[in-house]
Amino acid sequence: MARLEVKDLHVSVTDEDKGVDKEILTGVNLVMNTGEIHAIMGPNGTGKSTLSQAIMGNPAYKVTQGDILLNGESILGMPVDERARKGLFLAMQYPAEIAGVTNVEFMRAAINARRADDDQMPVMEFMKLLDEKQEILDMTDEMSERYLNEGFSGGEKKRNEILQLMMIQPNFAILDEIDSGLDIDALKVVSKGVNAMRGDNFGSLIITHYQRLLNYIVPDTVHVMMGGRIVQSGGPELAEKLEDEGYAGVRDELGLDVKLTDEI
Amino acid sequence: METKVEPEFQSALTTYTQDHAEPAWSLELRQKMLAQYPTLPLPRYEKIDYQKWDLLNATKPVTTTSNADLTDDLKIDFAASKNLLVEVGKSVMAAQLDPALAAQGVIFTDIFTAMRDYPELVEKYYMKTAVKADNNRLTAFHAAFMNGGAFLYVPKNVAIKDPIQAYYIQDSTRKQDFVPHVLVIAEEGSELTYHENLSTSGTESNLANIVVEVIAKDNAHVHFSAVDQLSGKTTTYLNRHAILATDATVDWAVGFMNDGNVVGDFSTDLRGKGSHTEVKVVAITTGKQVQGIDTKVTNYGQHTIGHILQHGVILEDSTLTFNGVGHIVKGARGSDAQQESRVLMLSTTARGDADPILLIDENDVTAGHAASVGRVDEGQMYYLMSRGISKKVAERLVIRGFLGSVITEIPSKSVRERLTATIERKLENGQKSESDS
Ligand SMILES: Nc1ncnc2c1ncn2[C@@H]1O[C@H](COP(=O)(O)OP(=O)(O)O)[C@@H](O)[C@H]1O
Ligand SMILES: [Mg+2]
Repeated sequence: MARLEVKDLHVSVTDEDKGVDKEILTGVNLVMNTGEIHAIMGPNGTGKSTLSQAIMGNPAYKVTQGDILLNGESILGMPVDERARKGLFLAMQYPAEIAGVTNVEFMRAAINARRADDDQMPVMEFMKLLDEKQEILDMTDEMSERYLNEGFSGGEKKRNEILQLMMIQPNFAILDEIDSGLDIDALKVVSKGVNAMRGDNFGSLIITHYQRLLNYIVPDTVHVMMGGRIVQSGGPELAEKLEDEGYAGVRDELGLDVKLTDEI
Repeated sequence: METKVEPEFQSALTTYTQDHAEPAWSLELRQKMLAQYPTLPLPRYEKIDYQKWDLLNATKPVTTTSNADLTDDLKIDFAASKNLLVEVGKSVMAAQLDPALAAQGVIFTDIFTAMRDYPELVEKYYMKTAVKADNNRLTAFHAAFMNGGAFLYVPKNVAIKDPIQAYYIQDSTRKQDFVPHVLVIAEEGSELTYHENLSTSGTESNLANIVVEVIAKDNAHVHFSAVDQLSGKTTTYLNRHAILATDATVDWAVGFMNDGNVVGDFSTDLRGKGSHTEVKVVAITTGKQVQGIDTKVTNYGQHTIGHILQHGVILEDSTLTFNGVGHIVKGARGSDAQQESRVLMLSTTARGDADPILLIDENDVTAGHAASVGRVDEGQMYYLMSRGISKKVAERLVIRGFLGSVITEIPSKSVRERLTATIERKLENGQKSESDS
């Protein structure tokens, strides 16, 4: 079993225009183990993506206080690639496009980065694995042969993130708004992929704005994030409550002083 | 640059010419250019400072042959290609042409054989239209000392499906200039794909002066690709020039993968109405080398299209300059000149220039340019690394993608793979001297 702990995490970003640091995360606490699915819900601009980027190690997000531990070891000093090799994965809200590098080539590089030089995955084994995962996600060879995310539609990019997830098989996957821009069919496909990963060696942190996704990937725990920290946690029923009452309802109930830019 | 003509060169050249049984016009041209070259001006290229390089200190022509095992490093698959020419220095190691093409009148042979067997045909074009012998000091030097190369002739309406492949291997196991000349004639309505590889065997310091002429007649279609991999001990002047007649197309894809100093003059004349060129250039510079590439398209004819795409990567203390010259002359109505030049710098001591020069002398045209000198995209790096890929491998992947425009244009799979491996090797070597941060 693997364990990911976020302790009193404070994260700042630099405001490009003003050139000053702005604190986005104001003390996040979270513990999750493999075998569990957690969901984080919260209004736009509250710091959900910031949390995911800080866990993954995006250098633009500065940890000013607190810690992130993987199996008891702090990962704050590790660069992003090392964190990935330790078992973390982030399905990004806005994946990069890279012309000239095919998906296949990229995924092989990613898998082989985790293996010793004299133990690289044989091509046949890789292709077999790829076929298997593509089938679950209704993806074609044609898509995998294309350049990495280049010219992909929003939905195709999301599917491609999940394909990478299934190929790499990390211990922990953070899925940042994997549902945004997906129609119901695509949502079902993506959910099928994530559910296929479920098991003792896999944990996931699902970030979403809407409860809808959680009908397909049922979480064990739901956290509500507002004002840069987690303000409430509960079972799947919490997501439904949010759907009914909106973030404003939860905020008022908890007596929080948080400004919402939107409501569900 | 020092320029000298000694009387002994005259007699050495005469002997050399006789040794190959060259036609009288060739000897005459050589002697004339030998006398003339020291007085001609050096060509000038914006921001490319090569004038002090050792490009004119000629060695006396040698008639001895080169060693055949100098081809071993390249692992050429002689059986894989029906149309293949392999030369080491001036020695021909392999020359094969599909008999069916020969029967249609296609000629593909080394330049000396061509001069002997088709003297009039070669004389008609050789250094007369695309690259004129007396154009400048370096072209005249070339005309005087030419010592290898090929002649490719495709008759009217003949379409060649299989790529024509040529290997020109500089013999640097000894002191000897490398001066190959390639002449490609595509007659009306013909079609061909030609790929050439330039490389060096041996560790001597030598100069190279290479001229390639492509003449595309009405409605001819030429696909030209090249991988240049001359050694770090070779100082090179490389001139590739095409002239296009009505509705002709010439597509270029050239990889400057040399290790030494190179000045490249790369020019396409869109003479005929409706002619079209796509010029793709990629380059990697490493160590302390300088590569200056002057890529030029001139729209003379109406409704001509000239597009230039140049992508380069600079490592360590090296310098890479891309000039992109788009010139639309008066009267070339309805023409289009576009260019994009991008340079990535991987070290703080690298120097790079992407220099667009648009000269537009006609109103009714479209023209545009984009140029940038920058660093590897951080967002792309983060994305790749977030999948566990190390910084160096991620960097190489992004760069390989960046250079992909030319790789995909190479007709032969084995050459594509070799080019990819070369890029990989150059980047790995270059990265070794970069910091690990
Ligand atoms: N890289 C960044 N640079 C500057 N500001 C950022 C950056 N990323 C996020 N922010 C700011 O941090 C706040 C939280 O953003 P984000 O974490 O994306 O919220 P969410 O994902 O919950 O919608 C917003 O005000 C946003 O503008
Ligand atoms: Mg977000």
